[in-house]
Amino acid sequence: MAFYVDIRRCIGCRSCEVACERVHGGRGHVQVHFVGDSASVPLFCHHCEEASCATACSFGALFKEGERTAFDVEKCTGCGLCSLACPFGVVWTDKIAHKCDLCDGRPEPTCVATCPADALSTDFDLLARRARSRAARAAAQGGRR
Amino acid sequence: MIRVDPSLCIGCLSCSNVCPSQNILRTETVEERRIRWKRCREECDLCVELCPARALTLVPIDESAPEPEVSFPLVGCRICGRRYAPEPMLRRVEAALPKSQSPEWVWDCPACRRRAEAERTTGEMVAARRRRRG
Repeated sequence: MAFYVDIRRCIGCRSCEVACERVHGGRGHVQVHFVGDSASVPLFCHHCEEASCATACSFGALFKEGERTAFDVEKCTGCGLCSLACPFGVVWTDKIAHKCDLCDGRPEPTCVATCPADALSTDFDLLARRARSRAARAAAQGGRR
Repeated sequence: MIRVDPSLCIGCLSCSNVCPSQNILRTETVEERRIRWKRCREECDLCVELCPARALTLVPIDESAPEPEVSFPLVGCRICGRRYAPEPMLRRVEAALPKSQSPEWVWDCPACRRRAEAERTTGEMVAARRRRRG
């Protein structure tokens, strides 16, 4: 499981940031970025297939576990190599690494459950279905909205 | 006590993080990171075991030897210029990643990487919207 963002829906409310911090003892893994006036983009771990953070980790504290890039806090020495290896800058270190664990042990990631605009989802097909229904609406209205 | 090979140390602070007796001191300014290993008498080798660069060894106490100290200038981000990491750490990460990923972004600070990602995603959305609206 990974999760997906529909940034057309993101309203920049930062609820995901707050929700993530709430369940991770005040150290969140999401950051909402604002790009000019045009968009807000929540940024978090992509759980990359070939995870650079896991490649850079000397002690196996970061590793692939199915689709997830998992983190074992017991093995982390806080060296920060993972933070420097993340192409998206979403792993950070503060004597220990902090990264998205997809809310391990919860039915779904808290950011997804919290997002009031339905911009986050664990369902890739949902995004495809929304895109198709937009296209259908556009066709019904004569090709343009 | 601890002996440091300054040619191997990458300045990552693992040793300082794992030391249970706070015997490895760190000071960081905007410009540089400095690490000092105090004359340690503990029967403990956590720092040696957990050094990712294998730069530390334990040697018998020598009262006359100076306490080892290293300093690393922090490298400035290619985009914003903010200094963010010691060069040996960046070189190590660059060498560890597959060449196919062309990891020159290692020389951009994490904040600039996030900004680039946000801009890329937004660019895709705006382009898709333009296409739809003709």
